[in-house]
Amino acid sequence: MRLILTFAHTRLLWVALLLLCASTYSLHAKDAAPAGIAPEKVADFVHAVLDADRTIYTNQVVNRMQAKGIVSAAEHWEHENALPLPAQFLQHSGKLVAESGRGIRYRLISLWPIYQRNAPATELERKALESFSQTPDRPFTGIVTSGRKQYFQAIYSDRATSAACVKCHNSHPLSPKRDFALNDVMGGMTITIPLD
Amino acid sequence: MHTPVTSPKHPQSNPLGWGLKRKLIVSMLLVGIVPLLLGLSMAFLRGSKEIQVVSGESFQALATEAARKLDLLVAEEVARTSRIAVHPDIIQQLERHRDLLQSGDKRVSPAATTQQRAHWAARDPVAVKAITENSTALLLRGFYAGSQSESDLLLPQVVRAATKKLFVTDVQGNLFAALTTSPGFAHADSPWWKGAYNRGVGQLFIEDLHFDEQAKTYVFSISLPIMDSLRYEVVGVLHRVIDAKEFFSPSTHPIRFGKTGHVMLIDSRGTVMSCPILPTGVRLSDPSLIPKVTGREPGWVTADSDGHGGQGTAIIGFALLPETSRATNGSVDNGAWHTFVWQSSDELFAPIRHLMLWMLILASVALCLLATLGYFAASRIVTPVRRLQEAARLIGRGELQEPIDIHTGDELEELAVEFNRMHTQLEAAFAGLSTQVEEKTQEVQYLQKSTDQVLDAVPTPIIMIDQQGLIQYMNRASRDTLHTQTEDWSSRPLFDLLPIDDEHREALRRDLRLVEAGTPITSPPADQDQSIKEARDPLNQALSPAPPSLRRELRIGPHLYHYEWFPLEGRSGAGKRFGLVLRDTTDESRLQDQLIQAEKSGSLDVLTAGIGHELNNPLFGILGLGEAIQEEEDLTRAKGYAQDIVGHGRKMAAIIRDFTGVAARESKSQRIPVDVTAQLEQALAIVQTSHECLGLNVQKHYVAVSPVTALPDQLRLAFINVLTNAIQAMNGQGDLWLTTEEQDDVVTIRIRDNGPGIPKQHLGKVFDPFYTTKGQGEGSGLGLTVAQRLIKKFGGEIRMESPEGQGTTCVMTLPADKSGVRKEEPCVSS
Repeated sequence: MRLILTFAHTRLLWVALLLLCASTYSLHAKDAAPAGIAPEKVADFVHAVLDADRTIYTNQVVNRMQAKGIVSAAEHWEHENALPLPAQFLQHSGKLVAESGRGIRYRLISLWPIYQRNAPATELERKALESFSQTPDRPFTGIVTSGRKQYFQAIYSDRATSAACVKCHNSHPLSPKRDFALNDVMGGMTITIPLD
Repeated sequence: MHTPVTSPKHPQSNPLGWGLKRKLIVSMLLVGIVPLLLGLSMAFLRGSKEIQVVSGESFQALATEAARKLDLLVAEEVARTSRIAVHPDIIQQLERHRDLLQSGDKRVSPAATTQQRAHWAARDPVAVKAITENSTALLLRGFYAGSQSESDLLLPQVVRAATKKLFVTDVQGNLFAALTTSPGFAHADSPWWKGAYNRGVGQLFIEDLHFDEQAKTYVFSISLPIMDSLRYEVVGVLHRVIDAKEFFSPSTHPIRFGKTGHVMLIDSRGTVMSCPILPTGVRLSDPSLIPKVTGREPGWVTADSDGHGGQGTAIIGFALLPETSRATNGSVDNGAWHTFVWQSSDELFAPIRHLMLWMLILASVALCLLATLGYFAASRIVTPVRRLQEAARLIGRGELQEPIDIHTGDELEELAVEFNRMHTQLEAAFAGLSTQVEEKTQEVQYLQKSTDQVLDAVPTPIIMIDQQGLIQYMNRASRDTLHTQTEDWSSRPLFDLLPIDDEHREALRRDLRLVEAGTPITSPPADQDQSIKEARDPLNQALSPAPPSLRRELRIGPHLYHYEWFPLEGRSGAGKRFGLVLRDTTDESRLQDQLIQAEKSGSLDVLTAGIGHELNNPLFGILGLGEAIQEEEDLTRAKGYAQDIVGHGRKMAAIIRDFTGVAARESKSQRIPVDVTAQLEQALAIVQTSHECLGLNVQKHYVAVSPVTALPDQLRLAFINVLTNAIQAMNGQGDLWLTTEEQDDVVTIRIRDNGPGIPKQHLGKVFDPFYTTKGQGEGSGLGLTVAQRLIKKFGGEIRMESPEGQGTTCVMTLPADKSGVRKEEPCVSS
């Protein structure tokens, strides 16, 4: 509420409502502040869903398959008869969501990315990642602009929840940091919601 | 005449000896060759297989390693390029450009863009300057030249040279900034732009190899989306065209092994991107190879061609560039890049070929050695065997003089010892045998000599011939008969030697043929031959003799011979032999004639004496009674004497009648059918008149019988004689039974009396001439003899049956004459 009050903006509200509520209400009156969901909440929902999905994938699919020796996860899973890594699972689903044209996007970022495209793009992202060293459990949110465009961004810390994450990042030839440990904050997940 | 033992000229020992030797050598060679060939083949196959596997796995490893290296090369280049794409100034300018486009600013309106495009195409300096010298272009240039980069991020010289184009487009695909004027203006429809823009989401797009018209070379391109400052959406696309050969060759070309082994980079269509041998841009020569070497997972294959124009088994390792392929044409599904590691199969299999060559050379040497050793070994084995063989041959001929001397210390020596033992035993056995043979021969010679002597001693000529009629043996009698010398008769035809006329010769041949056919020679009819074999009856006239040709008789010189053929057992294999016996019957005939003559005269003497005797008694009686009558005065007594004279006269008449009945010549010689019953009746009547038969009771039982062929007078005489005999036996008193019957064409006549009968001891003599039981002068003793002769003459039989005390029955049988049937009613009278 405080955020909404702080960054209260009619357009923001409009967009949020359009995107997520599939509202049954007709929003006619400009003067009366209509009921809606704050982008923080939306990002929180989305993050919760994504995190749960990825956890399920990691624990119930990848770990079990690897434990039983049926199939393992590998970076080049396409031609190694393997499963995508949990991180790739998220990145690829993010790409699919982006390609769907809904506007909402999410991706994984890190201060020590294996591929440069996954480095923080904005100052907000950088600050968020840096903040996680102190407050890893608090999401970092803010409004960012690209030219004339405005976006809401929420960055959630992302931990090395599985040994596969640590192993891959510590051994990948392009990885700039190779001393990750399990449960370390390796980076964050950025959820971007356009505001116009 | 015998050549030495091991003479090579011997016609039979050579092939045999060589056969064994050759077999031994061939066996040894086979024993050597077969495992050698098997081993060589196995070695070659296993070697080839293992070389394939080892090489394939090595090639696969090399391909994987090369793929990783090239992948990193591309990834590094992508990373370098992406530094331009993330440059904040470029992003800012593009964001601004985007905003202008979205706000509908007239500077970037479609019309303005079209105009700018035309200017660019026309190389209008203003337009060119606007694109090649704007701030973004300057940044590009700085990046390309290295002035904008940290020292460790400088573009390597090779990469810089390989970069043929570097430009940036805006969100609409129109040229935004470029290093040179070579790029086109609008790219919104090109695949790379669409791929990299990806509906505003953006993704790395690596374009496959293609020929670039401006650069005049084969190139590939890296297209990177330039994201806005949030990395939220695409604001432009950075496109970089790179000469594939220049870019990759420093990495691929140094990887060489052997003379031909190398690494090649191909795309999924089989187009060569970089190869030390093939030029970039060509397709692999064998299209069928492409699917085999473009699998997603690294591997190796054995293919029938090498992709470099060579035919023959090739081993190819391959691997996919993992990260790069993820971006090629937007996704790995649209094509991927692969390394291809190959070495010429000639070179690859050269070691095993060398090995094979050496092994073949060694094998040939080994075979030569084997053949040589085999020859010597076979000679060592065969030589004593040949000696044994020769010895066995000599033993077979009985010519072995010395014992076999073989000292090989093995089974052959034992065999030689056995041979010697066998030889000794054989010699002993043969020695015994020859003694036996000698004895037997002597025995045979003795037997033959005895036989010859016996045969020579036989006065009967005996001749033996073979089937061709050539004489094989003649005894002395025959030689004498035929007047031949020993040398003459041997193997001469018998029929030429016999001095006989053609008729006899033919008869002789005919008989021989009968004997040859196994038919027993039937004797000539008895009546024809009887004159020779039996004494002639002096009372019976000799019938005309058979013609000499029908008899088995030959006349040689003055001698008459009866001949006889007999079959002889021939030697096995030889034909039949036959013997001819000639019996000299000259003397025999003469003797017989004499005998008959003597018999005749003897009979006459007896007859004469008998007649004289028979007639004398009544005659003396008559004389005495006559004298008594002369002196008798008493008439009655004289009448008595006269009655006695009449009795004596009757007796004499009877004797004379009997005699004439025997000796009378046949008035008729023609035999005719005669009624037996009638003749019997006449005979009875005659007998009854001449004898006192007052007490005679005649019982007759005549069954109608067929006539018999006879002379009626003689048949009647025979009956008279039998009847007289019967009546005399009964002294004219008693019962007389006369019976005729016919059965099986035989007419039987029975005359039975109930007189005293004939004692058994006399029964056999009753038909003898002059045999009589009656008193002197009572009978001539000829009656039954005559009857017998007559009945026999007519082909009948006569016999006397006299069961003791039951009288006598005379049974006569005569063959019935069926030619003229004349039936008579049976008549019975008493």
